[in-house]
Amino acid sequence: MTWLIKVIMFVCIVPSAILMYMLGFSGNPGKKKMIFGVRDNPKFHEGKGQEKFDAIVSSARKGGLIITAIVVILSIVMLFLPVTGGTLLAWILLVFALFLVAAPYGKGNMELKNLKKELGITKSGVTYTDLKNTNTVHALKLAWIILPNVLALLGTIAAVLTDFGVFGVTPAVEKYALTIMSLSFLFIAAIIIPIAVMMDNTRNMVISRDSSINANYSRAKKKTWADMFIAMSWANALYLIANNVLMFFTDSEAAVLISTLGYTAVIMVVVIIGVINQRQVESRYARDTELELQDDDDNWILGMFYYNPNDTRLNVEKRLGYGATVNFAHPAGKVIGIVSAIILIGSLILIIYLSFTGQLAV
Amino acid sequence: MIIRIDEYSDVPIYMQIRNQIVMGISSGELKPGEQLPTVRALALEIGINTMTVSKTYQLLKQEGYIMTDRKNGARVRENITQSGVMSEENKTELRRIVSEARLSGVGKDVLKKLIDEFY
Repeated sequence: MTWLIKVIMFVCIVPSAILMYMLGFSGNPGKKKMIFGVRDNPKFHEGKGQEKFDAIVSSARKGGLIITAIVVILSIVMLFLPVTGGTLLAWILLVFALFLVAAPYGKGNMELKNLKKELGITKSGVTYTDLKNTNTVHALKLAWIILPNVLALLGTIAAVLTDFGVFGVTPAVEKYALTIMSLSFLFIAAIIIPIAVMMDNTRNMVISRDSSINANYSRAKKKTWADMFIAMSWANALYLIANNVLMFFTDSEAAVLISTLGYTAVIMVVVIIGVINQRQVESRYARDTELELQDDDDNWILGMFYYNPNDTRLNVEKRLGYGATVNFAHPAGKVIGIVSAIILIGSLILIIYLSFTGQLAV
Repeated sequence: MIIRIDEYSDVPIYMQIRNQIVMGISSGELKPGEQLPTVRALALEIGINTMTVSKTYQLLKQEGYIMTDRKNGARVRENITQSGVMSEENKTELRRIVSEARLSGVGKDVLKKLIDEFY
């Protein structure tokens, strides 16, 4: 049965590492608007600028590839090791090691910013806003995302009532297992809704002097995000209900692990489809892009974290990957940043502590 | 209509927005009676303080280009009062532009052509 744990970890880690490499280290860096979170500039492609640019890009891509390969190879090796407290810790640390794939991206970002200074590239500081599309372009239909999450809530309520004996029936699994499992997935549902709403409210992009092009571009992008979150919500709700039914009739851990594997695979597919759709939107509107976007590279720490005290917006479009991130200079952004850091570091310390005290067991 | 905000300009942001809305009304990009975004929506979109946009709208209202009310928000005025007189400020600004053009060797005919184009 422990092989399923390994398969689940493998399925979570390997595609994520490959996806992160593909998103951060593009194959055609000279043809993209952004390279490692730095806006492309014609001066990067002239004489010595081109040489230095190529060297930076090649070194960062090589670094990204090496780290991704290490994560993938270690995951393959781990598949053949028995599941013990030690290897379980190693698997969890591999999940955290996924963040390292972004390290060469950050290095490339800093080097390109230095190259900008060296080449005398000055900031343009120009922002475009389309007066006709302000706050009017949305793609998320709230009902479509609320409905699956209401189902998830009902599933959780049913699980809690069953566990507390309200229905007078006893599930096959041990007491409160249904409640714990349901609440975990309800927590995911509770996170999905605000993120989906936040991404639907990101600033509309202005790429053209034609308002209808701007509106269509923003709507198309937001539609792919909205579809992705709706699909995730449905997958989450259906899994929660199916898992409750499964756990009610059988206490087979293998059955639960197999269904979890299926759930993970579905989420992965949804994310990959979302990324492909985003790329298609970008390439479809590439020829309509006529306005130079604002050079705010200096506000992007390592090209990943947006920190701009002069910007009152909370959510902005990401530079690494697809979707939205927060402005860490915004009061709410600071809270989100601190809480995320505490959760991330705290869970890492907790896992290491549990492992060394022998409490992390299979 | 696209509004262009230059962070490094000497012209304050509220004035940059005001100037471009006036140009939009003059060129017909913003039609009489057309709804303008709410103060909050425009501030969020540009990423500036709501007070800045509020100041722009108040100025435009004072100058008679837009009208605002609690129910309908801000709209371009249907009938903008035409005094037929150029303000002293604008005369001074025009004089500065003409002077700079003359010092740069730009001919009067080129200037007139530009005025015809923009009018």
